[in-house]
Amino acid sequence: MHALSFPVRLAAAGSLAMAAVLLAGCGGGGSAPAAPAPVLELDQVWAGKPFALNEAVTTPAGEEFTATRLRYYLSGFRLRRADGTWFEPKTDAQSSEGYVLVDAAEPASAKFALPAAPVGEYSGLEFRVGVDDPRNNAGAQTGALDPAKGMFWTWTTGYIHFKLEGRSPASPEPEQRVTLHVGGDGLSRTVYLLFATKPLKVAEGLQPTIHVVVDVASFFGGEVPLKLADTHTVMDGPHAVPLADRYVGLFRVDHLHHEPAAARP
Amino acid sequence: MSVRGIVAGVRVWIAGALVAALLVAVLAGTGARASIGNARDRLIETVESWRAPSFAVPAGWPKPVYDFSGNPVTRAGFALGRRLFYDPQLSRDGSTSCASCHQQFAAFAHYDHPVSHGIRNQNGTRNAPGLFNLAWQPALMWDGSVHHLEVQPLAPISNPVEMDESIEHVVAKLSADDTYKKDFAAAFGSPGIDSQRLLKAMTQFVGTMVSAGSRYDRYTRGEPDALTATERDGLALFRARCASCHAEPLLTDFSYRNNGLDAAPRDRGRETVTAKEGDFARFRVPSLRNVALTPPYMHDGRYDTLEQVVDHYADTVQPSPTLDPQLAGGVTLDAAQRAALVAFLKSLSDERFVHDRRYAEARR
Ligand code: HEC
Ligand code: HEC
Repeated sequence: MHALSFPVRLAAAGSLAMAAVLLAGCGGGGSAPAAPAPVLELDQVWAGKPFALNEAVTTPAGEEFTATRLRYYLSGFRLRRADGTWFEPKTDAQSSEGYVLVDAAEPASAKFALPAAPVGEYSGLEFRVGVDDPRNNAGAQTGALDPAKGMFWTWTTGYIHFKLEGRSPASPEPEQRVTLHVGGDGLSRTVYLLFATKPLKVAEGLQPTIHVVVDVASFFGGEVPLKLADTHTVMDGPHAVPLADRYVGLFRVDHLHHEPAAARP
Repeated sequence: MSVRGIVAGVRVWIAGALVAALLVAVLAGTGARASIGNARDRLIETVESWRAPSFAVPAGWPKPVYDFSGNPVTRAGFALGRRLFYDPQLSRDGSTSCASCHQQFAAFAHYDHPVSHGIRNQNGTRNAPGLFNLAWQPALMWDGSVHHLEVQPLAPISNPVEMDESIEHVVAKLSADDTYKKDFAAAFGSPGIDSQRLLKAMTQFVGTMVSAGSRYDRYTRGEPDALTATERDGLALFRARCASCHAEPLLTDFSYRNNGLDAAPRDRGRETVTAKEGDFARFRVPSLRNVALTPPYMHDGRYDTLEQVVDHYADTVQPSPTLDPQLAGGVTLDAAQRAALVAFLKSLSDERFVHDRRYAEARR
């Protein structure tokens, strides 16, 4: 593989394209990009401190809340190039690649590789919180979208984009339950994160990582803080619109990190 | 005897010999104590299974909504779907299969059950509809709450008053069963059991249930004698008074409407899905194919007979804000017209469909 890298790089520069095709052909490497795919690492916090399930916190509305479950889908990742155009990875309607289920109970789910991007510099990242409408209405899916993951409504078709459950003394429900499920058509939301201080570099031998802070407290904040005494049980699309508008604000770029990529075999 | 006659005779002889040989083979397989009746059933089963399952659009019908090109029907996939449909393991306590509420002799409705009757003797709130021509249905259920045929089984599996299971657990149960491991591998060409495979196999079974073989169909395909004079009168009336909603050839236009059952309806119907006030108490216009086989009638199974249904349209349509304007004031029908309509509705039964062995429970 290493022997290939020199001509491949030249080909990327626009010359010796023919040689690259031939070499890729005999090397078996195909047209896979040589540069490591950027990694997205989500740091889930509550107002600056690490966020943890089963730990009581106080919401911006002054209510006590203990989260027992936090899960959400992220999908439709695309990177903005320095020149303002987009790199949009190809998607396949038959595959769940490009759909990520983040689960606060599984720390490993908060760090994942984005779709491999071509060598270059990027100024921002866009993604969707939730599952797009076409996929929401498609047939049986696998992987992150497997309905067995418990993020699929069965009494009315559709994925649950975002699920936050817990307990609060403010909730009048049995066992002080709080159940906030946002799902269905029209309720996924697009988030755009600008890399303000420096561009994201995708290059051979370099592992770029985007560190994003997910401040769960901000879901409860905003101009009109969420009051669990009033909003404690939401489980259908039509009533979830105000909640969907809240999860757009959860994400913020903390910093970008570039380090030498571990040598690959 | 002409040459052609001889050839035909030889063909008959060969076919006879084949059946005889098969009978011997099957009898041998059943063992000495097996009854002849059982052997006969197995013979029929074997012969019927030669007819490969497939999906075909009847002449003159619209393009189906479900696209089988993403889930090609194969013999092994269909057989797996059939096994799953009849398997009570899909319910929490192993008591209830899809077929518990969807019986073939009733065109896969739940015969004589006004509302569904599921696990631990619990009742639901809606009548189990017949299952056929599902590939044409843009959405499933009385209120259209399920958008895609493949994911439909998730609803009954996880409904606490139907099968009360989780798909996760069903997959785990089947994965522990060697015979299912074999069946899934045969159906999909590689080992592995997951929800997608399960749902696709079930869709090969329920999605290929096509019913287009009633006497009414033979009539519309050019056999004038397939319907009696009274039934033909009924058809004419039906086309004038009913087909605006129960549109030919599927006998539904798949819209959601309120046909005036109650002045103060309790079930919110389509509104539960769309949250639109105007959808209150609207339900999908049901297909009337096989309707004589699927009593009781309406989303809550309130009418036992077709006579009662026709009387409803004539005498008891209730005004309410979402009542369909076409039915305001009811439909004027005299006694002879009512009888003709009922006679026509009874000509919509597809005997071949309800006796198609491929859709019956397989003998294993
Ligand atoms: C306890 C009884 C019960 C069981 C078990 C059951 N169903 Fe149903 N089925 C119903 C009822 C009731 C409805 C109508 C529900 C509604 O409209 O709200 C229905 C609706 C359907 C529909 C939609 C039909 C249409 O015209 O919209 C399909 C398809 C279906 N069931 C297939 C299945 C399959 C497959 C299984 C097994 C996984 C199954 N059912 C198990 C009672 C049952
Ligand atoms: C305005 C549209 C409309 C018209 C016109 C109409 N129907 Fe219906 N029909 C419906 C709807 C909607 C339902 C289901 C209502 C429910 O269950 O709440 C239904 C249900 C039925 C059923 C019960 C089917 C089942 O499986 O439960 C029968 C039978 C029926 N209609 C026959 C007729 C006949 C006969 C006529 C003509 C006299 C007629 N309909 C005219 C909309 C219509």
